[in-house]
Amino acid sequence: MIVAIARKEFLEIVRDGRFKWTAGIMALLLLTAMAAGYQKYSAYMDMQRLSQDKTNAQWLNQGDKNPHAGAHYGNYAFKPAGPLAFFDNGINNYAGTALFMEAHKQNFAIGRPASDQSSIGRFGDLSGAMILQLLMPLLIIFLGFTAFAGERESGALRQVLSMGVSNRQLLWGKALGIGAAVLLIVGLCVAAGGVALSFADLPMENESLGARVALMALAYLLYGVIFLFLTLAVSAWAKNARAALMLLIGFWAFAAFLAPKAAVEISKAAHPTPAFGKWMADMRSHQMRGIDGVPPFARFEQESREIFAGYGADSIAELPVYVGALRLQKFEEYDFPVFEKHYGELRDSYTLQRRLQDRIGIVAPTLPLRSLSMALAGTDLIRHVDFADAAEAHRRDMARKVNDYLGKAAVSLNTGYGGGNVLIADEAVFAIVPPFKFESQGLGAVLAEHSGNFIGLALWLAAALGLALWSARRLKAEEG
Amino acid sequence: MLQAVKLTKRYGGIEALKGLDMTVEGGDIYCLLGANGAGKTTTISLFLNFTEPDAGTASVCGLDVTREPLETKKLLAYIPEQVMLYGNLTALENLRYFAQLGGRDYSREEYRGFLSRVGLQPEAVDRRVKTYSKGMRQKVGVAIALAKQARALLLDEPTAGLDPKASNEFSELLLKLKSDGAAILMATHDLFRARETGTRIGIMREGRLVDELSTGEVTHADVEKIYLQHMHAGGHYAQQGASSA
Repeated sequence: MIVAIARKEFLEIVRDGRFKWTAGIMALLLLTAMAAGYQKYSAYMDMQRLSQDKTNAQWLNQGDKNPHAGAHYGNYAFKPAGPLAFFDNGINNYAGTALFMEAHKQNFAIGRPASDQSSIGRFGDLSGAMILQLLMPLLIIFLGFTAFAGERESGALRQVLSMGVSNRQLLWGKALGIGAAVLLIVGLCVAAGGVALSFADLPMENESLGARVALMALAYLLYGVIFLFLTLAVSAWAKNARAALMLLIGFWAFAAFLAPKAAVEISKAAHPTPAFGKWMADMRSHQMRGIDGVPPFARFEQESREIFAGYGADSIAELPVYVGALRLQKFEEYDFPVFEKHYGELRDSYTLQRRLQDRIGIVAPTLPLRSLSMALAGTDLIRHVDFADAAEAHRRDMARKVNDYLGKAAVSLNTGYGGGNVLIADEAVFAIVPPFKFESQGLGAVLAEHSGNFIGLALWLAAALGLALWSARRLKAEEG
Repeated sequence: MLQAVKLTKRYGGIEALKGLDMTVEGGDIYCLLGANGAGKTTTISLFLNFTEPDAGTASVCGLDVTREPLETKKLLAYIPEQVMLYGNLTALENLRYFAQLGGRDYSREEYRGFLSRVGLQPEAVDRRVKTYSKGMRQKVGVAIALAKQARALLLDEPTAGLDPKASNEFSELLLKLKSDGAAILMATHDLFRARETGTRIGIMREGRLVDELSTGEVTHADVEKIYLQHMHAGGHYAQQGASSA
């Protein structure tokens, strides 16, 4: 019975002239978006790889010099786009793509594609994710708003209900039929895109790609089903098809545009991001003053006895490493808590904003989906923070390695004379710092952070289903 | 088959049906006559449980329609003034859909059989029904009733707007259904056809069944005279007089 209802609903939709238009437009947009996403992704990944290779080579071939000066010469970390960035580019346009790693300074990622775009860029990237997030609900609404309301207006519902079919069976059947029609368009396009991509030689970061794709599909499926049942609920409840359409379009606009914008504004007001100039000045002066109020030079003097004792030495002369290099390394380490505090404050403000946005997200299904989609694509804030952390870890490692080398190579300077080129490092020395390689926390961490968003979608599904069942139960053949 | 006992329905403060008692047995074609607003459609809606009675009961084959809404509907077939079909589906697809909704299914040949029994041209069966005339739609409506194997039919002015030939064909179909033993309740304005096709006639006015006739005992002229007498009697004019006084 349910299958019979679904088949009729599907046939009716597919044979309607409007379906061909809607399907055509949707398919065109989706395929264009995925092609554009792919083009952008492969260009970006080519650039990322080339740049990383080039900067790695530059590090090695920077010329013979003092190894600590080599650390000042520095090196860049280029951020990989994310495993599914061609589908959902997330915050990549705003978050910076390259991070300069040098001695004594933790830096921001720079190179934000958005800053090179005209104001049209503010509308966001044309991506598969955007089309599915914004237009798939619209497609579902257009195909489904007449499901009950239209049949009630035409009088067909009287005949249908006179057949002795239960309202609930009608609801399931219609959901299945409309769902199949939507899936026909969206599923075909996504599958076509997927097959095309599998032939393209994509520089894929193969991080549990299969699981990411499966979870992504699940999230978008849930999202579609939520809108499907909301549409049916409103269609069964509304006075007529027109009213149903108005209400649904209103909700769509709220969910797709108003709620995300409001969530961002509210979260910024609740957890303000520190003003950049002041934040930077505070951090630099904190470095100078020292974390405990003792400037680095003074602190090193105070702690020198202890530090020397760590090497089993009472005086500089007895040290097995060059004291200058030791001091440089200590200065590096004195800065760690300063960076952690200030970058931590900044990061906390972003994280709190994001978490608040996720909590506000419960008001509309689009928000949790958007968050999940970015996270699964590996283009969200969490991954950006991972990248910045990886770059900072690499920076510290780089500084420590060259300082260690200097300490050992230049130990003769402790007793006054340095024979030969003890302060000069060459390519072989710089090679002790391995090339930067980014490994994110992986899917497990993403899921742990985003369980709330899955719960959000599940709650919306329950609510939409509940509304649809309630509406169907009180469905009448005629108004009033 | 179809039975109403003290069936009463109010819309707002207005009593649309005032304690209707009636019975339609298998093999009966019971024609309900009466002005618009007399309660004919309300009666049919109550048998279909599209609306709840305020008092009294409507039952089909002994089952109360408010207690067994799905079971009683399975025994009924309903043909409205305008049979609404899905324009983008063919007659056969429409018929199959409605039959399946009624819990039945047949082979394609059987569906063709139903459609040819109601006189639909074989070449029209696989055409989308948006091209159909009203007469053709009503025929599909009857085919749906046939396929449903309904024990009782509820018809709400099914021949209104049909040309005389189509109307005549429709009446022929009703006679076939009647000879199969179905109980048929038909609301109509067509006094002539009511007399020709019906076995009994009920005249309604202002929510009451004011007269019942057996068509075998009256001529067409009698029916018209009795109908008009009832329409003129008291009610209408008296009320108008009262409200203008």
